[in-house]
Amino acid sequence: MISQQVDKQLPYGVADLFFKDAARKRAVEHTLIDTWKRWGYSEIIPPLFEYYESLAAEAGPQLRDEMYRFFDRDGRTLALRADFTIPVARIVGTKLYDRAMPLRFFYVGSVFRYEVPQAGVRREFTQAGIELIGASTPDADAEAIALSMTGLRAIGLTDFRFTLGNTAYLRALLKNVSLNETQALGLRDALRRKSTAALDRLLDGLSLDSLTKKALAQLPALGGGTEVLDRAPRVNDESSQALERLRGVFTLLDRFGLKNYVTFDLAENRGMAYYTGIIFEGFVAGLGFSVASGGRYDNLVAHFGPNIPSVGFAIGVERVLMALKPSASIAPDAIAEDYSDQVAASRAGGQIVEVDVLKRSRDKLREYARARGAREVWFRDGGVEKLS
Amino acid sequence: MITIALAKGRLQTPSIKVFESLGYEPRDACDSRKLVIENHTGRFLLAKPMDVPTYVEYGAADVGIVGQDALRESGCDVYEPVVLGYGNCRLIVAGKPEVQADGWRMLAGLRVATKYPRCAQAYFSSHGLSVEIIEVYGSVELAPAVGLADLIVDVVDTGRTLRENGLVELDEIFKSQAALIVNRASHTLKAEEIRRLIEEVENQIRNS
Repeated sequence: MISQQVDKQLPYGVADLFFKDAARKRAVEHTLIDTWKRWGYSEIIPPLFEYYESLAAEAGPQLRDEMYRFFDRDGRTLALRADFTIPVARIVGTKLYDRAMPLRFFYVGSVFRYEVPQAGVRREFTQAGIELIGASTPDADAEAIALSMTGLRAIGLTDFRFTLGNTAYLRALLKNVSLNETQALGLRDALRRKSTAALDRLLDGLSLDSLTKKALAQLPALGGGTEVLDRAPRVNDESSQALERLRGVFTLLDRFGLKNYVTFDLAENRGMAYYTGIIFEGFVAGLGFSVASGGRYDNLVAHFGPNIPSVGFAIGVERVLMALKPSASIAPDAIAEDYSDQVAASRAGGQIVEVDVLKRSRDKLREYARARGAREVWFRDGGVEKLS
Repeated sequence: MITIALAKGRLQTPSIKVFESLGYEPRDACDSRKLVIENHTGRFLLAKPMDVPTYVEYGAADVGIVGQDALRESGCDVYEPVVLGYGNCRLIVAGKPEVQADGWRMLAGLRVATKYPRCAQAYFSSHGLSVEIIEVYGSVELAPAVGLADLIVDVVDTGRTLRENGLVELDEIFKSQAALIVNRASHTLKAEEIRRLIEEVENQIRNS
């Protein structure tokens, strides 16, 4: 019989973490933070909830639908943060816009989305990421991509590959095309699924010049190495610029020694509605869904203040944990029968020492120490017993 | 080495032929009782049609062949670069002739029996109709005959089963055929292998 006691249940999409799982998660977060810091990034901590209107800015219909909303006592609608980029953009646009640019921020924390069950999807999940604000150069794009890859390497994931695209390319192809809402959604959906059949059907129903039509029909096949940038149709200046941007970023990634980790994908239009330029997504071997994603958002800060071009990414902490081999240890170095100067000195020296607070017998203490995976038991009389 | 998930049932034989013609050896996957077959050409697994998109979405299989009806119903986030031209069928709304005469879109509180609750819900919602979806697992045509439901949403091939059960087609929701689907991570991590497979399958379809 399935328990009907609501007070013991957990809602879908959240999880309790303890022991090794909690230790592993915290270790990954610390490693990522250390990495971000060494590149000059400092922490930003937005509130867990704020006015829905702020968070809904430029969020796009999908993310807006997924937000957890509730009422403040004065009747205003609040929402739990569904990503970090929008709150950070608000902070920058309202408070930090006149600082020396660029601003480099990192963040780690929970975000909340009311998502349908899907591969690797939870409703509360942890994002660790960065925002590089006030730089519109390819160098900034390359730094964001390189930093996300460096983060993955730092936590021990080395077998990964990133897709790199540019939302400006599709926008350039559609520059003189007028689509109604259904057609625009249909087009994005067909490209998301890389469905040539759905795309062809849709394009047949549109009145397009043959050049544009051919370019759009080719999109799902525009994936691969730099030859894709040579092959991709250039229908106007903007489309050329979008492709050259990708080439520029790729060249810069070479300097980081990271170009072999990149695959171009010009059909990709996933990700946040506020992305305006390059977008990227990271995959690691053995996991069927992405672990990192990011992109350029040049118009988001303008919603809250002056226009400040920016780029950023987030790593899904739960997802990288799925890809990592369990390695964290929470076993103490020693279990002491009683508190002593030696306990204090060892702790100060960085060792993990647990003191028995249950006044156990020596046998019971030994048994407990083994169960905890401790290396030694320290007895009150100064005796040390090593456990195998 | 890539893992390929194939749907059991009516798509099984033509799907195996596609891979055989490309030099893969999936035949053992059906001849034996084993669920997974591995040889030098790849790893093959045979699954229920509704499960194939799930295996591929989670990356348990890199690619799969499945009907678009099962794919849409699963709601899985996968690439579907090639349609294969076989396994053609249509997802339709059907009911008794009297329902049609009544102008079924005017009726309130209709009950709909289906094996495709997601697709059915999406269809009726998009038409502004509030219906009660009843999920059944087989012989959907039975439901209107015995008064369980007013309408059915189901796939039809020739439409014979509909006629034999005294039902008429009211609307077509979508056309379906077999499709090659690809896991998003595999598409990037095994880019060369997958791209070659997609091209080979495309050529195969074009020449057949």
